[in-house]
Amino acid sequence: MFIDRLISDKEGSASRNFMLSALFWSVIGMGSGLFAGLEFSMPDLVHNVPQLSMPHLRMMHVNVVAIGWLSMGYIGAMFYMIPSLTKSPLWSERLGNTAMWGWNLLMVGAFCTLLNGYTEGREYAELGAVLDVIAVVLLVLVGLNVWQTVVNRKVRKLYVSLWYFLGALFWFPLVYVIGQRTFVQLPGLNDAIVGWFYGHNILGMWFTTVGVGMMYYLLPRLANSPLYSHGLSLIGFWGIALFYAPTGTHHILQSPVPEWLKAIAIISSIFLLVPVFTVLTNFFMTMKGKWQLVVTDLPLRFAVTSAIFYYITCIQGPFQATRWINWYIHFTQWVVGHAHLALLGTFSFILTAALYYGLPRLTGRKWYSHGLIRAHYWLKTLGFTIMMLSLTTAGLVQAAGWAMGIPVDQWGLQIRPYWAIRAFSGIMILLGQVLFAYNAYRSFYTPVAEKESKLAQEVKA
Amino acid sequence: MKSNFRQGANAVIITFFAIIGSTVLLPMVIFNPSPSGHGNQYEKNKLAQTDPARGRQIYVREGCFYCHTQFTRLQDRGYGPLVQAGDYVDETPHVLGTARTGPDLTNEGGRFPSEWQKAHLINPRALKPGSIMPSFSYLSDRDMNDLVAYIQTLGNRRKVTELVEAPDEYTNKSTYGKELLARKHVDTKADASANAGRGIYTQNCAACHGLQGYGNGPNALSLEKKPANFTRPFYKQYSDEFWFYRVTEGVVGTRMPRFGEVLTEEQRWYLVAYLKTLPKEKEEVIDNVDQLNPVQQIKLPKLSHQQWEPASGGE
Repeated sequence: MFIDRLISDKEGSASRNFMLSALFWSVIGMGSGLFAGLEFSMPDLVHNVPQLSMPHLRMMHVNVVAIGWLSMGYIGAMFYMIPSLTKSPLWSERLGNTAMWGWNLLMVGAFCTLLNGYTEGREYAELGAVLDVIAVVLLVLVGLNVWQTVVNRKVRKLYVSLWYFLGALFWFPLVYVIGQRTFVQLPGLNDAIVGWFYGHNILGMWFTTVGVGMMYYLLPRLANSPLYSHGLSLIGFWGIALFYAPTGTHHILQSPVPEWLKAIAIISSIFLLVPVFTVLTNFFMTMKGKWQLVVTDLPLRFAVTSAIFYYITCIQGPFQATRWINWYIHFTQWVVGHAHLALLGTFSFILTAALYYGLPRLTGRKWYSHGLIRAHYWLKTLGFTIMMLSLTTAGLVQAAGWAMGIPVDQWGLQIRPYWAIRAFSGIMILLGQVLFAYNAYRSFYTPVAEKESKLAQEVKA
Repeated sequence: MKSNFRQGANAVIITFFAIIGSTVLLPMVIFNPSPSGHGNQYEKNKLAQTDPARGRQIYVREGCFYCHTQFTRLQDRGYGPLVQAGDYVDETPHVLGTARTGPDLTNEGGRFPSEWQKAHLINPRALKPGSIMPSFSYLSDRDMNDLVAYIQTLGNRRKVTELVEAPDEYTNKSTYGKELLARKHVDTKADASANAGRGIYTQNCAACHGLQGYGNGPNALSLEKKPANFTRPFYKQYSDEFWFYRVTEGVVGTRMPRFGEVLTEEQRWYLVAYLKTLPKEKEEVIDNVDQLNPVQQIKLPKLSHQQWEPASGGE
């Protein structure tokens, strides 16, 4: 039946479809980011094409990477991990697949509108009113599906990953509804306050919570060792629940918003060190004695790299939220580097680990090539490290320029080399992602002769 | 077990709503700045047939706010007066911005002619070599005119009382500045102080700025950025504090050194007193002593020892 092919009710199909769509959108999202990055070095690369002008590509990059790649991948990973943690199948595969198609439709809508400049003009919340409504409906559908699966579970005890997933699926639709401001016109500064509540909490109440939940699922399994402490993990969870939501205002510390709000934001930003350190202690103690596994186990290698990047991000975050650091580095490329450290270094890596771990188990096929996975890992890790260093250095040059009162046209020339390096590292990252997508295509869409595949696996083993 | 789960879920919900209440709803309720009267006002220009309000939509549509911010901070020098909370009442969606890849546009209105702005939108690198701003040549003529009209309204109602203002560290606005001004005992208006500054000027400044401040000292020949010509009217509006700031911190991007590291505070104030007596442009320089103003009063400054002791070899 056509409808069965389109909206399948096979077990695991929703999860797999979400993951593969995420992979598709990741290439487009990272590609547009790379193109925008190239235009920093070659501003006259394209001329007279509004769809390819830097700001439009930037909107496209941010939305496709956040809503397309990371969110879709997260939902796919949740649809795989939650049934495995509750020992009961997903409540409705059909509903999951419907949500998957809806989400792809949403991304096609985003692709068509953002590139043409149909934007609400709110950073990180650029999608238009129709797309916002679709996104909320889909999030509620996904939440319902997950909720029903957990209610009908066969394992009584809720593992900590489930805490994170359920929390995220409760928080994120609310944050989305409040933060999008689609149908309200708030006065300027209030608009900014709510805007940064959203801008920070799409990270805190969605990417972090689901990402950390995935880490809690993957690390003990891949390292084959029990979680170090269940108590610590709950402290981490409640710490994130308490301290993440009010931090948004630290993005506009020097604007004329109320001082008490800034104080709350700074204090809770610093308090975020508590959940971060409990979570990371838990991860690293779980890995104790198992570090050698990263040599052979590629998903684990991605997961551990992600945990290390998470450590760096979360040291940086509270550090730059304090007034005297923010005074210096606000408005510079340092912040861009930090954002990439969180979303690319940490959450993209853990999602990649989940995909490398989950997809073979969902489809029953092995990865086509482990060499490609290794290439992907090194291209992405090295590329990202170069990007991070160049953006941070560029940020410091800019910060010195602003602090000394040097006009932009003077220091602007000084950071052009760093932008060139950034574009180069973008090529590495995109190449890694394309190898990933190619690997997935060869693994799951190309029929392989039975004998040949067996032989190949023997050689690799 | 089940009750545990319920308690946890309830706690999550209550925590979240408490936080939203305190950081999102509470500011909505208690933070309502009244319009300051200095915010941007978007009035249609019937004559030029431009609509700045529409220009703002284009500013948002083309994503200008990703690289240009619209709020000045205390530490920003050269971007005009500071913003107030009441300036933003009608600004929705906000265009405060997050990164400054380009200059701040808070007070951009009137900084350049409209023709310049339009040409800069079409080909930024023709007017600012080395700029990385994308070209917006694809905008229609109407869009472009409205956008330029919007840019030209930015900050127009933010009144500037003093044209050249010293940073807060050098004025009464900060504790540091207050202490500095409290320590100052040199009467910068007195002829005697100017006389005391003359020697300091000749020794430290004249090589580049020339004996009479025309910016034509012998070193000027070899400098890429030419030294300032103090006789120009621009320099006549400098306040004492601003002169002091310039002398102390030097001028970034030029060979003007930070004299704060060479001269004592007292010496710098004497220098300021002298700098203020330099002639105006196209003004005859009086060499004849008889024509000078008679000295009205002599206020003897309190001299420090440090100034008159040799820098080295004395001990």
